[in-house]
Amino acid sequence: MMKQIVFLITLVIGFLAASQMAFAGGGATGFINAGTFALVIELGVALFVVFLAWIVKDKLKIGIPKLLQGVFIWIAAYIVFRVILQPPIPFTLLAVYMGIITIAIFLYCSIDPDSWEQFSEPIRAMLQDDTGKAKAYRYVTFTALPLLIGFGTYSKMVPKFEEPVELRTVHPAPPASINVHGEIIDLQRVLNPFRVDNEGKYLDVGKEVGDFKNNPFAEDASQYLKNVKEGGEIFFGTAGCMFCHGDNLDGKGMFAFAFNPIPANFADPGTIAQLQENFVFWRVTKGGPGVPRETFPWASAMPPWEKHLTKDEMWKVILFEYWHTEFFPRTFGS
Amino acid sequence: MSFLKGLCHPKRMKWGAVALLGLFGLLLLLPLMPIQAIADEAPAGAPAATEGATAVEKAKDVHWKIEGIVSGPPAPKLKYPDNYGTYGTFQSRTLIWVANQQHLYFGSFVLAVPMFVLVMELVGMLQKDKRMAKKYDDLAHEFMKISLTAYSITAILGGVLIFTFLALYPGFFMYLAGIFRPVMHIYALLFILESGILYVYYYGWDRMNESAYLKWCHLSLSVLLNTVGLILMFFANTWVAFMQSPSGVDEQGRFLGNIWMAIHTPLVIPIVVHRILGNAAFGGGVVAAYAAYRLLAAKSPEEKAHYDWMSYTAMFMGVLNLIPLPFAGYWLMREVYAYRQQMGITLMGGLLAWVFIMQATMIATLFVTLNYYLWTAMGRMPGAERYYKYFKYMLLVLIVSTLTWLTPHTLVMTPAELKAMGGAQHPVVGNYGVMSAKNTAINTIITTTVLCFCIYQRANKVPTVKWARIGNLALAAIFVGAELNILFLGIYGYYIPANVRIGLSVPQVCSTLSTLFIGVTLNTMMLKNARSLGEVRWGQMSVRGAYALFLLAVAFTWTMAVMGYIRSSVRLHWHVNEIMRDASPWAFTNPIGYAGNINSMNVLIFWTMLLFVFWLGSLTDKKVPAKVKEAAPEGIVGETIPVASH
Repeated sequence: MMKQIVFLITLVIGFLAASQMAFAGGGATGFINAGTFALVIELGVALFVVFLAWIVKDKLKIGIPKLLQGVFIWIAAYIVFRVILQPPIPFTLLAVYMGIITIAIFLYCSIDPDSWEQFSEPIRAMLQDDTGKAKAYRYVTFTALPLLIGFGTYSKMVPKFEEPVELRTVHPAPPASINVHGEIIDLQRVLNPFRVDNEGKYLDVGKEVGDFKNNPFAEDASQYLKNVKEGGEIFFGTAGCMFCHGDNLDGKGMFAFAFNPIPANFADPGTIAQLQENFVFWRVTKGGPGVPRETFPWASAMPPWEKHLTKDEMWKVILFEYWHTEFFPRTFGS
Repeated sequence: MSFLKGLCHPKRMKWGAVALLGLFGLLLLLPLMPIQAIADEAPAGAPAATEGATAVEKAKDVHWKIEGIVSGPPAPKLKYPDNYGTYGTFQSRTLIWVANQQHLYFGSFVLAVPMFVLVMELVGMLQKDKRMAKKYDDLAHEFMKISLTAYSITAILGGVLIFTFLALYPGFFMYLAGIFRPVMHIYALLFILESGILYVYYYGWDRMNESAYLKWCHLSLSVLLNTVGLILMFFANTWVAFMQSPSGVDEQGRFLGNIWMAIHTPLVIPIVVHRILGNAAFGGGVVAAYAAYRLLAAKSPEEKAHYDWMSYTAMFMGVLNLIPLPFAGYWLMREVYAYRQQMGITLMGGLLAWVFIMQATMIATLFVTLNYYLWTAMGRMPGAERYYKYFKYMLLVLIVSTLTWLTPHTLVMTPAELKAMGGAQHPVVGNYGVMSAKNTAINTIITTTVLCFCIYQRANKVPTVKWARIGNLALAAIFVGAELNILFLGIYGYYIPANVRIGLSVPQVCSTLSTLFIGVTLNTMMLKNARSLGEVRWGQMSVRGAYALFLLAVAFTWTMAVMGYIRSSVRLHWHVNEIMRDASPWAFTNPIGYAGNINSMNVLIFWTMLLFVFWLGSLTDKKVPAKVKEAAPEGIVGETIPVASH
């Protein structure tokens, strides 16, 4: 019964995977988001491989030599990471993944005495036996090896005209202090002056959660929400941040795809949710031209907003961004 | 006198040893007295100075913001080449890097080994079985022998380091010595004390084995040796911590007269804790590699059995310290962020983020290698065949976790690849680049390692306790429950803000530690009076397992190199962070490739020297380890170790 269920699940997931590939081929985006769908495809492929292994080993009673199993696993992993996983991952990551898979295969083949024996026996036979078959394998192996090494060396040395890889730092370290409109601001200690309660006292991070669902336009809105509202007006009006960062703050504004990379997606837990409020203040004030050398190749088109907005306006925009995304800025004790 | 004789009575011996230990402990406070005297000196001197003609200048501590009396010159503004020395076209920074790293390697080793020796000797003394007691005692003695040769190399390398500082960075070193002058002298004096204790401890080993009372005294010496060693390390760490997060000086770098404030920097405690654990894990790894080397070189079955057991024991002790290490590192990083946001970001998200990926690779290597060693080690345990079929699934879990653990948040790619991906984050693998995935991965890796150890414990045994079935179910529930909790919290972490997510790491770690403490304890209890399926065939370790131990030790060494580089580089262009600028032409952050090469060179130099130490150790070893059992079951020659010892 269990096997039939596995079989059915595999079929369904396989069908979904095939349909998604068909959608992708036709230029459609698929009916659920790409990330989730890709995960489903990966799971489907994994289940399918397990199912196939079960059929071959237990049903058809075909024993695959360990060495060959290793080769099959390597090829299957390569297909998953290179072909099935979409959009394609960068080559550097592929190399890391395949390196780990290669090591894993060696560990798998030598994990216990029996496996090691099965794995190493054909290699030993190829190296030591006096049979004609072993000799033939030897000739092939020891002819292919130097050729492969030579080809590798040639590929490495031949001049290429490809774009170099870039190690871009997405979150560069801020300076200790910055000068904004003639005032030196200590980035280690400065707090958002508009994160305040109704009495004007600093509202500790986390306490604003009660206002996340409240209406900033309400007449009885808290002081915090009033500041958020003003920040929103700057985001959508004065500064027009939404044209790049999107009206859902997801980095998909109408100008976004003119840039490479596209603007930061504040709704992603990997951007402002990872940062302290004063870090965001630094990035807003100094923009792309103000990022340090370590962020080479300075792939940020954001203007230095200190040239267009007051300090108060910039702080309010930041307050709005955290409120809208319902993220809290990162804090590290007092 | 009669009191002392009374303490020598067999029944009161332990009390005598405790009293002796207490006395030694009090002696340790003596070197600290000058520090207190200096600390008291500054306030005491203040009124006297005020009464004089010249006014006393006061300033605020750069970090703690406490007012103190200015007692030293400001940090000099160094100039190149006036305040720096060079050797031709060699990069001075690389030279000091190598000198520092080599001294640190050997220093860590000689600090870690006495810790193991203390435990081994104590375990030996508590053994009821005299045969086992002797085995542990011999093992401890042999550990110490390796350490002794390394000790003199440590001292030589310490000298080399000082000369390198004086020759290449005199301006910086004079400033540091100006502040830590008294501590440096105490350090030197403690080194003499350490040497004295070490020699008495090592050369008095056989002599002090003659009576139980003397043996306890010997153990007390071991405690003293470790205490002095820890204080030595603490002092050396305070200088490093001062460079990274200075205090005790004002913003100009002027010493404010209170040495304790210069020692008690914001990062000193987490650095010290992290380093102690790291050293212990590293020491265990190196001794295990030594034993593996001797195992591979051994000719007789007895020798093989001895070194097989030794390598397992050393590895086990190293791993005990390895498991809490990631949590100590987490604490250190949290303190770094609290101290300076930009320092934390430079480390984890900015300039040095990719060096952290290297470190993550090493951590994964350590755990996977450890599991592999245990799997291959089960090849010499009759009955372990029952578990072979599970190994591949454990490997699968480890590899999936490793793939997640090593997926970077910031990808290295060409602009074309970036465009094809549609943004800096990949929609699928981007999910594995954040903290939720990392915490889940590392906790799963550690939990799987604990499970592997539990299987190893019972590989050649069948539980016979009445509650074996319930025990097995409970054990399964603990592991499955822990892993489900780790996975659930990992996924839940994607749906909540970062500052709440950080808090989830605590229950995840608790789940992992539950498997470690409750799972292993339960497993051990179940194996009491267990039916044996055959003794461990010590000495029949596969060659792959012995090489795995080498890999483990080299991975420890490389991890130390890369972490040391990260800690040092995070100061960027400062000798002393925000106080004293590095004006030399080498005040830049090296490319990752260069750093990787120098780290590899350091590892190579260290292991070359260490192999020399190992070789020396084998030269003096003419004594064949005690052969306990001539004919083990199934005709296997070697030693058999009772259930409790592994």
